[in-house]
Amino acid sequence: MLLRRCTQGLCIIGFILLSGAIILDDMPLLLAGGTLIAGILGQYLVFDHQIRAVVSSAEVRRSVSRNPVRRGMVLQVTTRFTFRGTPRMHVQISDLLPPNTLIADGTTTITTRPDPTAQEHLCSYRIIPLIHGTLNFSGISVTVRNLFFEDTIRMTRESDQKPDITVQPSALFAVPSSESSEGTRDNRKASIWSSIDIHSLREYITGDDLRHVDWKISAKHDKLFIRKYTQPTNFPPLIIVDLPWCGTPCPEKEFERMVSEVTGLVKHTIQTYQYVSVLFISGPNILHLIREERNMSRCIMELREWMHPSERQVHFYRMADRSDLRSRVRNAEHALEQTTDNPTQAFCALLHNRYISILQYQRTPAFSGQVARTVSQLRMTQAYLFSLGCGDTSHIRHVVRPLKTQMIRVHIRMIEATHPEKPATSEEPADAAGVLP
Amino acid sequence: MTPLLPEYSLLIVLGAGVTGITLLQASPVWYINFLLLLLLSGVLFLTRTWPDRGFYLACSGEPLVVACSITNLWAGLFVVCMVAGMVCLASRLLESRKDIGVFALFCGGSFLIALVIQWSNHVLPALLVFSTISAVILFVLSVRTYQFRNYYSGA
Repeated sequence: MLLRRCTQGLCIIGFILLSGAIILDDMPLLLAGGTLIAGILGQYLVFDHQIRAVVSSAEVRRSVSRNPVRRGMVLQVTTRFTFRGTPRMHVQISDLLPPNTLIADGTTTITTRPDPTAQEHLCSYRIIPLIHGTLNFSGISVTVRNLFFEDTIRMTRESDQKPDITVQPSALFAVPSSESSEGTRDNRKASIWSSIDIHSLREYITGDDLRHVDWKISAKHDKLFIRKYTQPTNFPPLIIVDLPWCGTPCPEKEFERMVSEVTGLVKHTIQTYQYVSVLFISGPNILHLIREERNMSRCIMELREWMHPSERQVHFYRMADRSDLRSRVRNAEHALEQTTDNPTQAFCALLHNRYISILQYQRTPAFSGQVARTVSQLRMTQAYLFSLGCGDTSHIRHVVRPLKTQMIRVHIRMIEATHPEKPATSEEPADAAGVLP
Repeated sequence: MTPLLPEYSLLIVLGAGVTGITLLQASPVWYINFLLLLLLSGVLFLTRTWPDRGFYLACSGEPLVVACSITNLWAGLFVVCMVAGMVCLASRLLESRKDIGVFALFCGGSFLIALVIQWSNHVLPALLVFSTISAVILFVLSVRTYQFRNYYSGA
């Protein structure tokens, strides 16, 4: 509880009067000081009664624009405060943000005028969760002040902290930090000269790259020795698992088969290449990346943890790849030049205009960039994509495109419900319903 | 014609009371009371648009309380009640029946304080009584506030 400025002044006067009364043994001063202090005490009792009335009537209801949310994404929060005011009391209510969140914009505080009726106020703001996991709101803070006093009460009961926000991780796209402590950058991309093994050593010849000098051997023999690396070896394939959306029923039998196929391929890859990388996606959402895992049992455990229908933050519906659209525009233009038939020309012109208008309004989805950044961290020459093909499959094209750009061979295993005994295997999502014809 | 503000009506009552008290007691420094009454009236007039007006009124009213209670303690009590009423009216603290009840309680409390002072020969015993009562009230309030905060913090 804080004394406001005028109350502090009155308290000082009261104590001066009482001190004077003690020193001078003067009854009139005691009466003046005593009544003044009694008046302040009485006002404190009134204030205490009023703050209880306000706080006990305060309620908070929050709604969030989406839940769960991905880490780093902006989340809209709308908070509705209701309380019963009292005369001459200014009430200020602040929504306390969850820990480890940033406020992007909006206001979290409402200030009310004295009004003895029931009041309802809305505040709206946007926050950015900085860590993943389950985040709780910290409650609300109610500040009440009148002419003499001011007090703040933090309401942090369980009901004041609802709803819980589930924040999903999304830091898979960052390039891993260098493991070197010498300030050098660790380039994990495979190049023509660097690989995982040193093939041999030879003496330094003028013109050799000094970065390849083996300093330990050079110091031992007092001569410069250059490392010769092995030729690029076969890297293990990247396994991409497209998990179905938990919002729609998925064929259990096919899903189990996909799980067993993925598990088998993972085991085979570890046995053959000593490690494996598995990328879990669910539609146009990257969920998790098992990066270069060498331990079989740990890898299987992670597969068990992640291999189930998943929630999707983002959904695509017939989201065509921009490169495909451009090639279709070119095809339409070519057809337009070739044909002389009027109805065909009209059709090609219409098609051309449609593709152009789609290109104008449809931007490259963030998912494509995320896939490109994720796969750029890994060394591979081929990738396997497993999908059930449930619902819209246009995101598959957005996975395949960045892989193809990096000269990676992609095998798509579409385990379809209609032909469970004969899964389609192709390099292109030929039956991808989402890709425009 | 603008209506008289409510605190001015109490000032008139206070002025009449102070005049009566001064005349009855025939004090040799009778003019002090009128000077202090003039001071209070001046503050009441000058601070009519200021914030924290109650503070200035209380500050200017206290000397009048002391001056009047020097000759008669009950006269001082009368001035205390009038000044408190003016402070409450100026701060809009007397707008409902509940507020009037609170003000009446304050007047009753002041009467009890005056009664204790009247019975006491020296300041110290009376002050001890007031301090003890205030400490008990503050202690009870602190405990209640602690419990209240605990309840709403979910502890």
